[in-house]
Amino acid sequence: MSSRAQTVTETLSSVIELLENDQNLKKQIRESIEPIDDLSRTAITELNKLHSAPFSQHNEICQNSIDIISKTQSLWQDVAKLIPENEFYRYQFALGPTMRNLTTSIVLARFILYDDLTSAHTISKILGLKNDSTEVLQLSSEDYLQGVIGAVNELPRLSINAVTSQNFELPIKISSFVNDIFASYSLLNLRNDALRRKFDSLKYDLKKCEDVVYDLTLRGLTKPRE
Amino acid sequence: MADVDILMPSEAGSSSSSLSRKQHLMNTFESYRSELDTDNERRERLIITSRSITQLSKKLIFHLHRNATSLSPSLKEKCLKEGRGKEREIWKLFNKIRDELDSIGNGGDSEAKEAYWRWNRQVSPGLEEYIEGLSFLYYLEHKSLVPLEEVQRTLSDENGQSLVVVTPEDYILGMSDLTGELMRYATNALSTGDHNTPLEVCDFVRTVKSHFDGIPPHMLYKLSKKQEETTRSLEKIERVCYALRLRLIEFADKPEVLAMMAKRALEDAAEKDERGKDE
Repeated sequence: MSSRAQTVTETLSSVIELLENDQNLKKQIRESIEPIDDLSRTAITELNKLHSAPFSQHNEICQNSIDIISKTQSLWQDVAKLIPENEFYRYQFALGPTMRNLTTSIVLARFILYDDLTSAHTISKILGLKNDSTEVLQLSSEDYLQGVIGAVNELPRLSINAVTSQNFELPIKISSFVNDIFASYSLLNLRNDALRRKFDSLKYDLKKCEDVVYDLTLRGLTKPRE
Repeated sequence: MADVDILMPSEAGSSSSSLSRKQHLMNTFESYRSELDTDNERRERLIITSRSITQLSKKLIFHLHRNATSLSPSLKEKCLKEGRGKEREIWKLFNKIRDELDSIGNGGDSEAKEAYWRWNRQVSPGLEEYIEGLSFLYYLEHKSLVPLEEVQRTLSDENGQSLVVVTPEDYILGMSDLTGELMRYATNALSTGDHNTPLEVCDFVRTVKSHFDGIPPHMLYKLSKKQEETTRSLEKIERVCYALRLRLIEFADKPEVLAMMAKRALEDAAEKDERGKDE
């Protein structure tokens, strides 16, 4: 082998080694997210009960799901340990979907509990992202805004199922909430991206929720809210 | 993100409970609007700069192809010098990107670093093209492979601070593109009667390809696609070298015949390649 080929070999070998290190770290980060995804799915399973359980159990179901999600706090610390300082966005592709799903569940649960939209700040606190040990992590605005719409996407079904189980107040509460959310998102100047597509789905959700209220009003099943 | 963390009524104290939920949401989303607007404007600016980098890098590569095969050493030297000049022009654009990212937050180093990763996707297309151009220039200057550290050093300011981060991934993809440029360079060199260059390039590309063959596809998916292109380039160069070697033995004393022969071998290779694609 000529001396030039030797140099090329050394250069490439060392770069490939660096690439392997990078890829191993990505793999480790993906693996560290898995137990969080497991808990996230458990919380969704719990929230699915909302569609069939009697209204009296709704608060308990929502509280349970929030409690399950709170268990991810220590797991986020494990994730944070793996991410080099200031490189959160380098690995966001692996963390973002999980954060969006958790946002969806928390927003849905806390809407039922408090009839309000949970702020990004509160979600970060529930996930334990505001501690010294998790400083490197953050819930980006993009992930939050998408996660909220995910929760709204669940509401038309919940509205319909509430009527089936003769809960005529929830559809009105839902419709008013979706209305407020839709008006809020309408303030944003969205470009053609994932958030824009999610926003487009809001319109249909709003219509479905309003249709349920219309059906109730028509039959005199709504009473004025106090 | 922190500036839009306005508390919702249920979370806030009694002082704000007079505001309706809707009003609260509107306030919050107005903050989100201004944040998204700022981000979108920044994204646009970065994409524009990145595109300029791509265009200038392509021009650098064309410039090198046009003049690097010149047989006169002084012309060749002039070409490389001009190439360096063009490279420095592109370098100025990387300074612009750094300034853009520095303006985020309160301008601290860590903010800029975080911003770099956040906006990496907007910057990386230009970076990839630049690395290709730089490595070609470096090859012509040194007849060798530019090391990753050298790329990073070139993309630093006067004080040695990185303008952008060059990852092993960026580097490897850039080197993969380099093999295509070298193939073109080798064939151009042939037509001017330069017999050493094709043999050297062939050797070089072969070494690069065999190293990259060792990288599993799942590790760098984009590379596995580029490797197909590299394989085609290498086969072309090898066929040219084969013909060249035979002619060198046959017509060692008649350079003008050699040049003609080589040109024909080249056209032949191109034709075979076309047919290979059709099959």
